[in-house]
Amino acid sequence: MSIIQVTGSGGSVHSDRTPFFGGRVPPEISILIKPLSKCDKQTVGKILQLIVSSMEGKPVSPEQFKKISSETLTEDTLTVIYSGLFSLLRRAIRLPLTSLKPEMFKEDMNELQIPAEFQEDIASVVFGARRPRIENEILDSRPRLPKLDQLKWRVDVAISTSVLNRVLEPTILMEMKLSNGKIHSFEVPVSQFHQLRYNVAYVLKEMEDLEKKSILKIQD
Amino acid sequence: MTLNLVATTAIKKAVVLINDLDTSKFPLLLTRILSKLHLKDERTFSEEEEEKLQSSLSLTDGDLELVIHTLEFILHQAAYHTAKPGLLGQQLQQIELEEEKVKVIVDAWKNAAADVVTKLRQRTITPKRLEEINWRLNLQMAQSNKSKMKLPNAMFELKINDEDSEAKEKIRFEMTHDELYSFYNQLETIQKQLDNLG
Repeated sequence: MSIIQVTGSGGSVHSDRTPFFGGRVPPEISILIKPLSKCDKQTVGKILQLIVSSMEGKPVSPEQFKKISSETLTEDTLTVIYSGLFSLLRRAIRLPLTSLKPEMFKEDMNELQIPAEFQEDIASVVFGARRPRIENEILDSRPRLPKLDQLKWRVDVAISTSVLNRVLEPTILMEMKLSNGKIHSFEVPVSQFHQLRYNVAYVLKEMEDLEKKSILKIQD
Repeated sequence: MTLNLVATTAIKKAVVLINDLDTSKFPLLLTRILSKLHLKDERTFSEEEEEKLQSSLSLTDGDLELVIHTLEFILHQAAYHTAKPGLLGQQLQQIELEEEKVKVIVDAWKNAAADVVTKLRQRTITPKRLEEINWRLNLQMAQSNKSKMKLPNAMFELKINDEDSEAKEKIRFEMTHDELYSFYNQLETIQKQLDNLG
């Protein structure tokens, strides 16, 4: 069995590290280079702004797109550049800041033959001030079960019922509003409430133990 | 207002029938009625059981119904007022039940009263009740747009029993550490309220 090393053309990457975009250069990035080198810094800046705002969760409208295109830069070419840069940035942001360092990113960009004048702007998206907001959006949009948006509750004490003159037994009513819009109202018998409280406390403790353990063990 | 049995026509008729009953079979009748007293819509005896009772107690269909209903009524009233056995005995004598039968009823009540009252306390009108709680603790390692994560999250499944529709609803939701902590705090506040009630 022989191991074949695949390196980019004209590359001088340290051969024991995979570039951030993976083993092979993705096709949308390789066709990005030629049209990109014909652009000017201002246009590339505008395209990057658009990409960043879409990564922060704001939808991109076709009008914003049209505004950037001009006679020198047709919509088709713009599409190629936009998707190429989007894919490049998405792959870079995927890796945590501890794994992908600015120097490594610069090396990889050189290997991809990204023109040097744009490298600083592109790197500032990945490592700059807008990164935390992009991270937040990524966490918010992850696939998950509904979130408990709101819990309303009340405690009643039944004094008398049709079957028993003196009851004096507490009951708890809960109304849970979930992020998928459903509202659930139900009664919680006191015994079940104790179970619920115990289980929630137990899970909380387990989670804290887990956080103490795994953060130290798993190294990137 | 305490336990007060009034000898209406129906009760007078039932008393005559009960006094004529064979005392050996009487305790079993009472234990069964007491065990089913706290249930809402269930018949104390099934159709076949009622037929068997008719023959073993030598009562007609209508008479058996009257006897069972009267006994149920008396015991319901005793439970409603959480009557002491002594008071129950006195009231039973007042409606002219035989000594033997009074003793059997009072004994049965002595044994079952605490249990019946506790079960009646739990009775509620709200259809939906929390029955069971299940949970799962996960550590999210990655997602499509982010790799190398270590995000703990907890999933909960609350099983809700709906009396009206016999359907079992399941409420499922997921929480991160912060969300779990605020949920815990809310439950603690509820607990403080319960503690204040004494």
